[in-house]
Amino acid sequence: MKKYIYIFKSELMTNLQYIFDIIVGFISYCIMIFIFFNLWKYIYSDPSELINGYSMGQMIWYVIVTEILWMSLGGRQLSKKICNDVRSGNIAYNINKPYNYVGYILFSHMGLFLLKFILLTILGVVLGLIFLGSFPNISILSIVLVLISCLFATIINILLITTIALISFYIEDANPFYWLYSKVILILGTIFPIEFFPVFLQPIFKYSPIYVVSYGPAKLFVDFNWNSCIEIFILQGAYLILSILLSNFIYKKGVRKLNVNGG
Amino acid sequence: MLTEVKNQIKVNILSTKYALEREMLNKVTFVSNIIFMILNNASFIVQWVILYAIKDNIGGYSFKQVLLLWGLAAMGYGVSRFFFKNAFNLSDMINTGKLDNYLVQPKNVLLAAITSDVEVSALGDILYAYIILLIYGLSLKSFLLFTLFGITAGFILASVSVIFSSLAFWFGRVEVISNTLNSIMTNFATYPEGIFKGIIKILFYTILPLGFASYLPVQIMTNFNIYNLLVVIFIVLLFIGLAFLTFYKGLRKYSSTNLMNARV
Amino acid sequence: MAVITVKDLSKNFKVKVKEKGLKGSIKSIIKPKYNIIKAVKNISFSIEKGEMVAFIGPNGAGKSTSIKMMTGILFPDKGEIDVLGLNPEKDRRKLAYSIGCVFGQKEQLWTHLTPYDNFKFFGAIYDIPEKQVEKKIDEFRELFELDEFINTPVRNLSLGQRIRCEIVASLIHEPKVLFLDEPTIGLDPVVKEKIRTLIKRMNKEYKTTVILTSHDVSDIEKLCKRVIIVNKGQIVLDDTMENLKYHYLNKKIIDAKMKEKVNLEDKDGITILKDKDYNLKLEVDLKKTSISEAINLLNTDNIIDINISNVPLEQIISSIYKDGDK
Repeated sequence: MKKYIYIFKSELMTNLQYIFDIIVGFISYCIMIFIFFNLWKYIYSDPSELINGYSMGQMIWYVIVTEILWMSLGGRQLSKKICNDVRSGNIAYNINKPYNYVGYILFSHMGLFLLKFILLTILGVVLGLIFLGSFPNISILSIVLVLISCLFATIINILLITTIALISFYIEDANPFYWLYSKVILILGTIFPIEFFPVFLQPIFKYSPIYVVSYGPAKLFVDFNWNSCIEIFILQGAYLILSILLSNFIYKKGVRKLNVNGG
Repeated sequence: MLTEVKNQIKVNILSTKYALEREMLNKVTFVSNIIFMILNNASFIVQWVILYAIKDNIGGYSFKQVLLLWGLAAMGYGVSRFFFKNAFNLSDMINTGKLDNYLVQPKNVLLAAITSDVEVSALGDILYAYIILLIYGLSLKSFLLFTLFGITAGFILASVSVIFSSLAFWFGRVEVISNTLNSIMTNFATYPEGIFKGIIKILFYTILPLGFASYLPVQIMTNFNIYNLLVVIFIVLLFIGLAFLTFYKGLRKYSSTNLMNARV
Repeated sequence: MAVITVKDLSKNFKVKVKEKGLKGSIKSIIKPKYNIIKAVKNISFSIEKGEMVAFIGPNGAGKSTSIKMMTGILFPDKGEIDVLGLNPEKDRRKLAYSIGCVFGQKEQLWTHLTPYDNFKFFGAIYDIPEKQVEKKIDEFRELFELDEFINTPVRNLSLGQRIRCEIVASLIHEPKVLFLDEPTIGLDPVVKEKIRTLIKRMNKEYKTTVILTSHDVSDIEKLCKRVIIVNKGQIVLDDTMENLKYHYLNKKIIDAKMKEKVNLEDKDGITILKDKDYNLKLEVDLKKTSISEAINLLNTDNIIDINISNVPLEQIISSIYKDGDK
């Protein structure tokens, strides 16, 4: 465990050096929130109106949270790195190292994520307060639970992306698969809560990764209740186990294929 | 003078053609880049279908007008990224001394630099734009206006990027600023003007000239007005002129690779 | 007739100084500190038609900066440049029609195209009619021995072949002056020799004035009749190769292997470079003394082996740098 913490720390330190670049990149985040604020303000004719069960404030806080999760994830970068590792054969060097490749990827990427996540969260809260002038009615304990579910959401997300990117063992370029995954999460899981989609799609969404990596934590934040909290943690737990198994399975199989081919 | 312009255009077209040929060497990547971009743009239709199911007028735009806005945004993005890809890498080219080769040629340096590469996926944007036009309603008039405004939008986006990237001559690493501005323009370009209020509207008609790249053209296409058309053309020329002016002003400060070498 | 005249040319670069770490980054944004680097300081020279002149000097001496000012890439801070009657600062495009440039570290060719197509592209850049370009290519094909690979995409060519094509591409418009910045960088000795022969042939055939920079002294020794040595932005020597050699060839090196140890001390005109066990190395200045004088000092019966040689050009040049430093 110590070595993973070291990997995490060194990655975090490296990224601290580029803090200025990261902060400037956050302007994009502000713009997105600004656009959504204007969009929903136009659509909600008065603030007390509910659309699909959401008030205007809830809609905007929902997007603030999902966009934090989305933008601090850095999924494309991750997928590119893994695809390159596989294609260039770099991954072969990792086989002999005394750590698990998937673990290495997870912890090194968490270093990057956590830094962005903390900064974006501060930014998101400030933006929400400026635009809306109010904060969701939520207890400290619930906030802690939301943060934990955000953490789980990201770990699952990283592991799923790792699984997808490791398909590169079998086909030339797995980036299109990542692309497809990211589009699904972005279009179906970030902009609107599940309730905005046709009723017949909603059960499918509920058991898809959208629910655990994006919708769940955000919904919990804007409308906390213990039932959905427990439900989300159960689903996240199941997805966590599934994604650990999947990513390690495809890595081990892929490496064996690499060995047969002689790297 | 006329032959000079002719020769200049000939060289830039050749350069774009060769850059395209280079990208076409790998056919699979080439085609999939284009297709993925079309799918990428199309996926955002979901957002508008849902929004218009809630309300049938958003920011004063009907669904059809939003389609048009999307089409024009994609067209402008596509034209600027395909024909002038390096307008979006210009600050990096300035900082790493990549203008040297163009400076010893008897042609326009800015044009040579920005036409030296093409973005293949931008062809997907252009194709997507015309698909949208088909859905919107194709007529000779709409086709011509759409094409014209796509080109003017492309010129505006490239010019704005050139203007901000040229700041690299004075301040060195400005990539972050120019990249952010470019992505802001892309983000705003697909939302109706009417949902925004106040200061931001002034920005749309000044340093983030989406007003001239998208909003005014949408207005002209739904409600033709020759006066507005002339305004758009005049503004485009103004931005092109400003881009050349800033670039050539900065070129006097160009330091080739010397800045990098001297960095301790 | 002078092709290039340079008078009191100076160029400074402003370099941002950045301290390490996060604090340094923030500091450099809020209150940037600059260092002024004087890359070129008041240099003057002139070059005649048909000359082949070498610019040599250590890294960062200002040779590339000077060349870049002559070609119009960089703007001088001070001084005057006249190339073929034009001011590169004002008439950059006009000048471009009559000069050619090869930067060894910056390729200008399209790598996915064949040399032939590349040459045609450059023909278009210089507004040369198709027919004339084709004729020109045929000419160079022979002169630069391109037949073997003229229809192979540039990315499949060896470095030496590429440089040959780069040179041809920069000659397609028959420039009167050719600037070669490190043309042989990264090439092996055999290929270097080949490139040199070709450049020489070209200079003879077309009377093109050639200005060349290089790290490699042998490039210069074999190609150029005139050398301009630059160090720290200043010209420390501007002379013919012959003079340079003659001046420094007044010095000879004696390597001797002795039977027994001799105790020698520096004398007027004789410097001991090395004295280790039975091996001696002396530098003899022929202006002050003679070889026989030096050998007499050694006691001829004691010599097992002796070798008398010229000072290598490389060493001459580095000693000139050092003189310039003082």
